[in-house]
Amino acid sequence: MKSRFAPAFKLLLWAWMCLVLAGAFFYAPLAAGFLGESSRILFFHVPMAWTAFVAFLAAAVWSGLYLARREPRHDRAAAAAVELGFVFCLLATVTGAMWARTMWGAFWNWDPRQVSIVLVLIFYGAYLALRGAVEDREKRARLGAVYALLGLVVAPFFFWVVPRITFSLHPDSIVNTRGTIDMESRMLQVLLASWVGFNALFFWLHGLRCRLGALADRRLEA
Amino acid sequence: MPPPTSRSADWLAQAAAVFAKEWRCELRTRYALNTLALFAVTTLVVVSAGLGPLGTSAAEGTPVLPVLLWLILLFAAAAGLPRGFVQEEETHTATALRLAATPSALFCGKLLYGASLMLALEALVAPLFLALVQLEVAAPGLFAATLLAGGYGLAAASTLIAAMIAQARGRSALFAVLAFPITLPLLLLVVELTRNAVAGEPAGGALTQLLLYDATVTVASMMLFPVVWNP
Repeated sequence: MKSRFAPAFKLLLWAWMCLVLAGAFFYAPLAAGFLGESSRILFFHVPMAWTAFVAFLAAAVWSGLYLARREPRHDRAAAAAVELGFVFCLLATVTGAMWARTMWGAFWNWDPRQVSIVLVLIFYGAYLALRGAVEDREKRARLGAVYALLGLVVAPFFFWVVPRITFSLHPDSIVNTRGTIDMESRMLQVLLASWVGFNALFFWLHGLRCRLGALADRRLEA
Repeated sequence: MPPPTSRSADWLAQAAAVFAKEWRCELRTRYALNTLALFAVTTLVVVSAGLGPLGTSAAEGTPVLPVLLWLILLFAAAAGLPRGFVQEEETHTATALRLAATPSALFCGKLLYGASLMLALEALVAPLFLALVQLEVAAPGLFAATLLAGGYGLAAASTLIAAMIAQARGRSALFAVLAFPITLPLLLLVVELTRNAVAGEPAGGALTQLLLYDATVTVASMMLFPVVWNP
């Protein structure tokens, strides 16, 4: 994002997010079956969770690329994606808990969705702890990539195990279990626009973080 | 170039040699055996004494006691299993080992050693636990299968993580941090299976999923291990 389009991109992103905010509060209707205005959190909570998912998936791809090619920039990209994904995931957890307080009466009740998001946070927290514990840069990159890929292999087992612990009160995903989309079209427009906006925000921050990492590495080499 | 049969025989010989070397070192110092056994027995005594001479009722015990059994096994494993690779770094024998064996053979030897250590630990702890907390197992076959598959899975996940933390700082604390998210699906599955065994209910899909977890972690660890091991 170093090109001459960068200022235009930033302005566009700012305007886009303003539109999403306005759309979420004034354009989209309220969903049926939710208390008060609480359904509006959908436009922020869901895109943040999706963006975190995109970030972690991207981190796994960059980890695999690092192991295949051993280029430091892939390791910087993977680490930056995990850091940002962790922040988005934390925001999704907090907004989810606020919504749960309104709808379910308690911030936390170990709904399967809450169980899984905590597991994701613990796993990537462990990833960051591992990176903090290895000083050698090349070794840190290797071990981090291995751990990220090992987590990816183990993750599918949670889809089997976690739902058996207790049933979920969480509203349907956007595409529900019947494979259809039951959402008012104005809500869907705002939701998708918000998702695009949050992803753009993620990739912009990610580009900044990677450049920062590259500068820090160059300084260490000098 | 030697024919493939002699190469696979070579690989087997290397893995067997690593396995034998691990047990020879272990029997000289008895570090892991002592740590594992004492840790497990101590926590077991704490659990049993804490429950009191009457123990728990069957209605309370069936959901709770399997969790306690696997917590004891997990933390005993965390106390002893990382030792394998940490010791190679501390005594500076890792380089010689890199020259002597191919990574996959080395990994299999270490994994077999870890699994045999876990099974020995379970052979000691499980009967003691059942006797001390007065837990009746309705389906002993399922209970034994759970211990076998669960112990192997713990060893499989621990071996790769032990190889990773041997190269980092703050090793013992880091092992628990890294191993917890990876072994959590296994722990949830074995606790569910142990409950079923105690209550005499069928295993359902959980045993298949546990075996699948064991196989997945073994294959993934074998693929990732050379990256961790070779600098």
